Amino acid sequence: MRVPLKWLQEFVEIDVDATELARKLTLAGLEVEKIDHIGSEWDKVFTAVVQKVERHPDADRLVLATVEAGEHQLTVVTGAPNIAAGQNVVLALAGARLIDGHSDSGQYKTLKPGKIRGIMSEGMVCSEKELGMSDEHEGILVLPDDAPVGLPLQDYLGDTVLEFEITPNLAHDFSVLGVAREIGALYHAALTEPGRIDLESVPGAKTDLITIDAPDLCSRYIGAVVRGVDVGPSPEWIARRLRQAGVRSINNIVDVTNYVMLEYGQPLHAFDFERLAGQRIIVRRAGDGERMETLDHIERVLDADMLVIADSDRAIALAGVMGGTDTEVSDTTTSILLESAAFDMKSVRRTSRLLKLRSDASARFERGVDPNLAAIGIGRALELLLQVSPGAEIVEAADVYPAPAVPRRLTMRFDRIEHLLGVGFPEEDVIRVLTDLEFQPELEGGDLTVTIPTFRQDVSIPEDIVEEVGRVLGYDNVPATLPVGQTVPVVRDPNFLLQTKLRQTLTAAGASEAITYITASGSMLSTFGANGGEVGVLTPRPLDSLLQLINPLNAERPYLRNTLIPALLETAASNLRHRRGVKLFELARVYLPAGRNQLPEEIQTLGIVLSGQRDALDRFGSNEPLDFFDLKGMVDEALRQVNISGVSYEPAEAPGFHPGRTARIVADDRPIGLIGELHPESARQFDLEGIRVVAGEIDAEALVELSQRQKSSISAPRFLPVEQDLAVVVAEGTPAATVETALRAGAGPLLTGIALFDVFRGPQIGAENKSLAYRLTFTSPGRALTDADLVKVRGKIEKTVKQQAGGKLRV
Amino acid sequence: MVPRGDPASLIEGCVSSECEGHVSTFTEQLERLRAQTVAEIEGALSTAELDDIERNVLGGKGQLTALLRQLGSLDPSERPEAGRESNRIKQELAILLAQRKETLGSSELVERLESERIDITLPGRVPQIGVIHPVFQMIEELSDIFALMGFQTVFGREVESGFYNFDQLNIPSDHPARDVWDTFLVQSDGEEIVLRTHTSPMQARVMEQTSPPVRVIVPGRTYRYEAQDASHEWMFHQLEGLAVDERITLADLKGVLQELARQLFGPRRKIRFRCDFFPFVEPGVDFAVDCAICDGAGCRVCKHSGWLEMGGAGMVHRKVLEAVGYDADKYSGFAFGLGIERMVMMRHGVDDVRAFAGNDLRFLQQFAAKTVGAGSVAA
Repeated sequence: MRVPLKWLQEFVEIDVDATELARKLTLAGLEVEKIDHIGSEWDKVFTAVVQKVERHPDADRLVLATVEAGEHQLTVVTGAPNIAAGQNVVLALAGARLIDGHSDSGQYKTLKPGKIRGIMSEGMVCSEKELGMSDEHEGILVLPDDAPVGLPLQDYLGDTVLEFEITPNLAHDFSVLGVAREIGALYHAALTEPGRIDLESVPGAKTDLITIDAPDLCSRYIGAVVRGVDVGPSPEWIARRLRQAGVRSINNIVDVTNYVMLEYGQPLHAFDFERLAGQRIIVRRAGDGERMETLDHIERVLDADMLVIADSDRAIALAGVMGGTDTEVSDTTTSILLESAAFDMKSVRRTSRLLKLRSDASARFERGVDPNLAAIGIGRALELLLQVSPGAEIVEAADVYPAPAVPRRLTMRFDRIEHLLGVGFPEEDVIRVLTDLEFQPELEGGDLTVTIPTFRQDVSIPEDIVEEVGRVLGYDNVPATLPVGQTVPVVRDPNFLLQTKLRQTLTAAGASEAITYITASGSMLSTFGANGGEVGVLTPRPLDSLLQLINPLNAERPYLRNTLIPALLETAASNLRHRRGVKLFELARVYLPAGRNQLPEEIQTLGIVLSGQRDALDRFGSNEPLDFFDLKGMVDEALRQVNISGVSYEPAEAPGFHPGRTARIVADDRPIGLIGELHPESARQFDLEGIRVVAGEIDAEALVELSQRQKSSISAPRFLPVEQDLAVVVAEGTPAATVETALRAGAGPLLTGIALFDVFRGPQIGAENKSLAYRLTFTSPGRALTDADLVKVRGKIEKTVKQQAGGKLRV
Repeated sequence: MVPRGDPASLIEGCVSSECEGHVSTFTEQLERLRAQTVAEIEGALSTAELDDIERNVLGGKGQLTALLRQLGSLDPSERPEAGRESNRIKQELAILLAQRKETLGSSELVERLESERIDITLPGRVPQIGVIHPVFQMIEELSDIFALMGFQTVFGREVESGFYNFDQLNIPSDHPARDVWDTFLVQSDGEEIVLRTHTSPMQARVMEQTSPPVRVIVPGRTYRYEAQDASHEWMFHQLEGLAVDERITLADLKGVLQELARQLFGPRRKIRFRCDFFPFVEPGVDFAVDCAICDGAGCRVCKHSGWLEMGGAGMVHRKVLEAVGYDADKYSGFAFGLGIERMVMMRHGVDDVRAFAGNDLRFLQQFAAKTVGAGSVAA
């Protein structure tokens, strides 16, 4: 909402700097987004009078005008068709910066004196476009007859416009009057209202001029019939005010309705009375499928919940939203019906939303317009109508207002203010503020009773009153304290603790954390899907069962993902454009459908993607690509860091993954994760062609459970460990995990470490075999181990390796 | 010089029976061995040579050791004297060896160290360490700051019902305030399901599950249906704060937020409240911190206002308290919300919010050097 300062000053006497005023209003809740100094660019531009106009001796279309602006009198060559002696105009002197009227660029040019067809032109008579006021460049701007001559134009036409952001609760501030009332309270200044015609003085309508068929949606409708109107351009001052407020000038009648809307916040509408079938107004619900053409020349199809203004035959306006073309005021209009009404805010909002049609009127009705404002608004409009069309006659008026709104009262403890704000204000300050805001406060025995004006529909509870007091007296007066009272024991969320630990471990292992978008396309997800079956990695679900957005920003990505991996792959690909290798992880939710129309199950998972070179390019680095074992090692260490051991890796096949390089992570017979190398085809889908990519996803919530289950006791070692290296020869197909299990079984409780350090194949052990070399570490908590201990253990190991892995120890 | 490697050669023949009775010969031999060894020690050029001498003379199979074995064959009257003399010489040689070893050893060390000189300007072996996303660095930091003030960190769901996202927060479906939140809608034939537009739904969810006093913060992802640009992102993170108890005041809110601002932006910071509208608080404010760059005087960073907006806040609306069954006349509370990305941007001068979900490692790795405590705000 744009409010010119001079307009405000008609309502409230203030003499403060616009910036300071804006600051104060903003702190009080009426946010000034911008201060627009209109006319500040009008340097060397004056109001002037045309003294005489002569023909240019050498050009038919040009004239020589002698123009006077105070001490300046000059000759100007102009082609303006509408210039005439005696006019008040705007004169720009050499050096003035004006917009080039002949181009659409809107660029400023500095005016220089120059000869036009042999005659020196010392200045320029300006059009609205050249002054940056509008696009009008047909003729020069002609000022009213009573315009002072010789004044800098900024002093005459310039103004400071405050541009407000109006939050939904600020219906009462959506007008010049509303802002003026705020200023009155902030500066304790009195309000003056301009003249208006008292509706009571207008003869009542004899016929059934107005009928409200839908009183639930229209609480009041005032119609006034004015005859003998002379439709034409608005006076300059009305057009200017509208322009400054950002409203286009149409004609004097329409402009008056808009002027009053801006001034009082009461939307008004003027119908061409002659075109009303039956010369009457019916406020009713639309018929289902009923059509009407709105003023923007679009045919609207209505439904039975929309409120319309109709005549005897048809809908002629969308109530509170926009009028119709059929009854639009035109140049030939001679009598009008002026509407000032109160429509239901929800109904207006619904209609406006369904038809995607917003207007200055609907913006106000949506926030709620006080029905008692209707009479004031129409009174002001009638006053202005008689000014802009002096021959007009107010014939009759009807005011249908079956249930007049009455002010509500609210009683609260006075000390509620201090209890809520943490600071007490003197009684007289509170009373003054509320009175200035047009509440009627009474204080008795600690009870504050407030009569709430009907235009404050936003105020209904004690806290609303507290806010009025706090914001006007200033929140700067609120001290900064800390809450006292009972403390609440802080329980740290185990999920969050675990995630923090995982973040620390994974970053220590070289991976960086990403935060990726939660939406996915069908094809991204289907990369990890069997044909026509389920999609996903850790938690596969049918694609069509996944949650979908109705209004995705990217229409191709409507799904809420059930795996983090696709987005991480995209992130990896984009980073690999400028890096040798990437290690990425994300801890985020996946969304699993819990049934139709149900909120989904949200599970926190850990996604990891590694690809490219393992090491940075340096003299220590190998040129090896990251592979499955980088990921497995990282996962193992991450699990160890969160106190989880005893998970196993089982060979797995999963859609989108390499059939021979993929493992399921199992804990307690339950799959908790999947890691593997991507199928080359999947990698290609994500622009990772010709490069190995390993990826995994782990159920982070399952980890919390596992992490908490295992209690670890920690002891300080007192004896040196004994190490023994063993090579186990087994068949090629025997998994290393089987060998390790066998070794552990044989080694018994003294085993405190096991590390595989070599895998060997060669003729000496047989072509079908492989040799796995382990270093076993033995420690006893209670004594130093002896050779005899090891001999015994070795014997047992020999047995278990044979039994469990079908292998033998290599000598 | 006696050839090395044969410890017995020096005294060969002299331990035979023909030598019997030649006591002077033992002493002579002893003396000869001493003199010879001293000469060798002095002439040795390396610690390795000294090791050889030590082994050849003093070692278990060394010359001196061999000589000493003859002591037993001496006349008993001569034995004490010969024994003492032998020990003296043994000690003397040991000391000489040690001294010479030290001299030679230190110069050898100097030589070796000199030969091991490296170019210390060569780059080191850099461990690859990743970066915790700046958003989570901030969430962890905020969680710590608020824990000190007794606030528990809890998390809420991201796909939320319209009921919790709006209705329970005093934003009924036909209220224009609902338009303020540009909302992603999830397909549903039944109840309205949305991507939460703020972390505020947890206000009701937390209060439903507990009775006062309540002190929680809720960090998490939030979603708004809006086009992306440098200052708008459709997915971002918020942190909600909620405290409900008897006699919680707006001043308490200011104190908590001021403490937050000081922890994040430095000990001189202060908080300013401005009246603002959010349907779930009354009174409602937005809060700003005075600009740390210019100390509130006005500069480019704060757009010459002296203040940087941090978020929205207020006293929990009576209807929100009543919706979860709290007695709104007995209990009062405050709630606030702030943007996590915005906090990072304010502290580090990041000028494009899209960078956070962009995950360009060149961006993320700049957050490896994590500011400890209240750092200075980047200009």
